[in-house]
Amino acid sequence: MASSTALSFKFSTISTYFKQNQAPLRGICNVNSVSLPSRGIRPGSLRRLRVSCAAKPETLDKVCGIVRKQLALPADSSITGESKFTALGADSLDTVEIVMGLEEEFGISVEEENAQNIVTVQDAADLIEKLVEQKAA
Amino acid sequence: MNIRCFQRNFSAAFPPLVPLQLPSPMETHLWYILPDEVKNSALLNQYSELLSPCERESVSRMRGDQLKKRALLARALVRTTIARYQTNCQMNPRSLRFRKNLYGKPEVEWRNEDNFNPPPLHFNISHTSAMIACGVTVNVPIGIDIEENQRRTKNNIIAFAQRYFSPYEVKVLTAISDPEVQRQEFIKLWTLKEAYVKALGKGFSAVPFKTFTIRFRDTTMRKFHPPESSVSEESDIVVESSEDPTDPAKNWRCALLEVAGSHYGAICVEKDRIAGENAPMKLTVWKTVPFVEDVCVSGTDAVLVLGGIIEQ
Repeated sequence: MASSTALSFKFSTISTYFKQNQAPLRGICNVNSVSLPSRGIRPGSLRRLRVSCAAKPETLDKVCGIVRKQLALPADSSITGESKFTALGADSLDTVEIVMGLEEEFGISVEEENAQNIVTVQDAADLIEKLVEQKAA
Repeated sequence: MNIRCFQRNFSAAFPPLVPLQLPSPMETHLWYILPDEVKNSALLNQYSELLSPCERESVSRMRGDQLKKRALLARALVRTTIARYQTNCQMNPRSLRFRKNLYGKPEVEWRNEDNFNPPPLHFNISHTSAMIACGVTVNVPIGIDIEENQRRTKNNIIAFAQRYFSPYEVKVLTAISDPEVQRQEFIKLWTLKEAYVKALGKGFSAVPFKTFTIRFRDTTMRKFHPPESSVSEESDIVVESSEDPTDPAKNWRCALLEVAGSHYGAICVEKDRIAGENAPMKLTVWKTVPFVEDVCVSGTDAVLVLGGIIEQ
């Protein structure tokens, strides 16, 4: 859809902006919740993005979708960034399948050590963002 | 006075657990619960009483009643199982403490008290929605994994195997033309690989799945077993490490079972030096509802040996 491609374009422009200008701030990315009020990104919220480098809501949504599908969770069950995979009923085979699904969706490759450190949905989304960025760099 | 004797502090509502001798160094004990058989809410409350506050909180964070029940039964199974093995007097399952080793593998934290020699017990658990299992050994580490034998993967099996398994294993799976048999063999292989990594206890990143191969091998040394013996001589299961030429994987004994007709179960145990290279795994299996009923199911249809040299 036209609108979502426009959104993606804006996201990648912003991440390029980060690479060029924000290198010193990268070490501070420990915020768990994304501070954007909605899916859209508006120029005015750029300042808030500077200090909050957690995964974009779009990424988080995709991750939630893959998790929901793998674990066959009902559509109305709430999955948030804080949801722990084990609390959702994922066993080790589920987790590996989810990682595989994420690799395919985002075109990345996850090392087993990193996969092991994924506890929450947010962890997965953050890892994906990192890997996508590394790949683009 | 030994405060661990249960007559003092244990609630009169708990019937005693049937005490057991520790497994010998060559033995493996396997206990399992079928959650669907545990419906009595009073009993579930009793189990809840056994848990530490931390464990109870973990249980409450599980999403939905089924997952909560599963988490509760898993902790209750571990606590009651370990408490069965007497040393001086019966251990109170509620007073057991657990911790994780450096790599996250759970273990018992025995308290350092006078005149108390902690039993050299090792354990490992695994669960699915329909079964919770706990394996116990003495002196040597153990890893177990169970999966429902009807489990389906969302991903294509060969694609999954190419991503995570060793080349030899991919070859074996690819050679299976019947998709149902291929699926079964995949699940069996998965449980064996999981059990091995869990037995090693160093975390998954220490032994990525791709770095070792598990395969079945016909035993070349067939000892004569008298007719009444109960040694199953299915193919032996061999673990080969592709990274370490000195092959520490030779120290591990693996077993593959079908349990209760519904699950594949893999057990991986370090070989005891005294028992010897080729000694069979002596396995005893119980189906349990702690405090209610224990049934020894070894040698029955509930335990079918699919691989490994096992004596039941």
